Amino acid sequence: MRHLSSIVTISATLFGLLLALLFTGALGENPFNVAQILVMGAVGSPTSLGYSLFYATPLIFTGLSVSWALKAGLFNIGAEGQMTVGGVVMAVVGILFPDVTPWLAWPLAFAAGFASGAFWGWLVGWLKIQRGVHEVLGSILLNFVSYGIAGLVILNIFRNTQSANPETTEIGLGYRLTILDWIGGTSPLNIAFVFALILAAICDLIIRHTKMGLRLRWIGGAPDFARRSGVSITKESIRALMISGGLAGLAGASFVLGYMHKVREGFSSGAGFVGIAVALLGRTNAWGVVGAALLFGGLQKGSLDLDIDTEKISRDLAMVIQALVVFSVAARPVIERPIREWLERRETKKNDEVSV
Amino acid sequence: MSGFVDGVLEFTIPFLSSVLRVSVPLLFAAYGGLISERAGLANVALEGLLLLSAFVGAATAALTHDPFLALGAGVFAGAFGGLVFGLSAIKSRADHIVIGIAFNMLVAGIIPTICRAWFGVTGGTPQLERESRFTSDATFFYIAILVGAILFWALRATRWGLRLKAAGDQPDALLVQGVSPSFVRIQAAVLCGAVVGLGGIDLSLCQGSGYIRDMAGGRGFIALAALIFGGWRPVQAGLACLLFASADAAQMLLQGKSFFDFEIPNSIVQIIPYVVTLVLLATRRSVMNAPRAINQPV
Repeated sequence: MRHLSSIVTISATLFGLLLALLFTGALGENPFNVAQILVMGAVGSPTSLGYSLFYATPLIFTGLSVSWALKAGLFNIGAEGQMTVGGVVMAVVGILFPDVTPWLAWPLAFAAGFASGAFWGWLVGWLKIQRGVHEVLGSILLNFVSYGIAGLVILNIFRNTQSANPETTEIGLGYRLTILDWIGGTSPLNIAFVFALILAAICDLIIRHTKMGLRLRWIGGAPDFARRSGVSITKESIRALMISGGLAGLAGASFVLGYMHKVREGFSSGAGFVGIAVALLGRTNAWGVVGAALLFGGLQKGSLDLDIDTEKISRDLAMVIQALVVFSVAARPVIERPIREWLERRETKKNDEVSV
Repeated sequence: MSGFVDGVLEFTIPFLSSVLRVSVPLLFAAYGGLISERAGLANVALEGLLLLSAFVGAATAALTHDPFLALGAGVFAGAFGGLVFGLSAIKSRADHIVIGIAFNMLVAGIIPTICRAWFGVTGGTPQLERESRFTSDATFFYIAILVGAILFWALRATRWGLRLKAAGDQPDALLVQGVSPSFVRIQAAVLCGAVVGLGGIDLSLCQGSGYIRDMAGGRGFIALAALIFGGWRPVQAGLACLLFASADAAQMLLQGKSFFDFEIPNSIVQIIPYVVTLVLLATRRSVMNAPRAINQPV
């Protein structure tokens, strides 16, 4: 009974996966073959596994970001834009101050990423609280604005004119993150993955064991109670969106500091949007988010092989699977409620018999 | 002097016609969204509905070379998409925004997958020749205005309109009458999809010649902003669409232009419509009276 929600969530995830495989069957592929390619592509070798974890890394950050806001009852769809702004600012810091030593460079870059993401999150909060613009609409529109700002920085200010790609010049050597080749083989898996796990632990701790976390859960779960206890909903909402934005602002670290060592247009590759799915599947629990991010990271890596190894389907299948998983997880209460009621009925019946 | 007037005309006439042209998908998406939101179904799925109908329309045109068949297929696809969105949002009793986002993701994933399976390319449909698409922009604009007018009248003067508004404001009142609010919302979602479908067709068969990846480019969200900016009322929402369309038209006109030897970077020009939308939304706090039971399960 206690684990019912988790069991139903996992079943819903599996149901979503199954639906997606049936869809590939409808398009004329062998679903078993597709499943095998996905699994082998995701975890078949140390390098594959390394790539899966590499793809999972930004998803942990964005998943934690969306979850943080959701705890406060706010829907931050803007993780994509916050990640873009954060990644660009990290790169700019690395380009402007190239000679900083590694032990100062990392905190500097991370602080810059967090601060710029937090500013972008604050904008969403300000628009909502002060100007009455719903956070969903505000953050979606700000995503588009962030792409424009990224384009300006990448193409007009720090463009690498030697390169044919839309990208900046390289960041200083001190900013490069350590590659974890003992786990990930030749993949670009880097220490940002470890930072993501540490951050998940910190978020879990703050949300469950501190006053700050308690206030966050109050304004989300029981706003009237929070208000009567003297918590300022306005202030707490804006703060929640700032922290949420800051977390998303760090999501570019793995790619920008750990892999490319520069920033390229479209580097976020939708990780901000997938973060929404990750947060919902992880049920806004920090470790649930990590699990969901690992699943979706593996799916993204596995589906890359579909481009080559199948004729009819492509890497876009990952998006279909993610969407179907969100659908079935969102519909979870429909299944959960009757089971819970049935279990409760059985429980009371048993108790009645004992009392007689 | 007349040189000046000619200069201004040379600038304004293409600008105005461009405004009317880019406003068409916004108008359809906003009116579709208005139908569903007035019924209490919060709709962030407009973007996905636009993409879906644009794709199905273009794919049908590529296979049959018949624009009217493509129009029907696009509208049907929109209605079907609306049904899927509405059913899953209402029957699951989940947050409509979550379902809307999942719907957008689903469409964004399914279209390229089907493109590869059917046409061998993941980007979009093949280029359409002139005979298999529509060439008159104005017709779609008039249809959009007509839809707005019908909606204005229907919301005020018909039983359908009253029930729609009741489902959005006070679903319990419908129950008393023996009408199912869920049913009202689902039929609103289907109708919404069909109307948005006209906008999708305009994108791929009128403004464009075929489907290209992600061709709605956020228009679904701008349309949502327009209908909120217009206070969920048809006339105001339509005017808001024209306003946002002029920001988009200005953006297109400014691309690659320079002033006093200073060329404004395209990245900045391209975000003008989004910034204008945000700024305008931020100035209209007082009029935002959303349907009371929006995004509430019934």
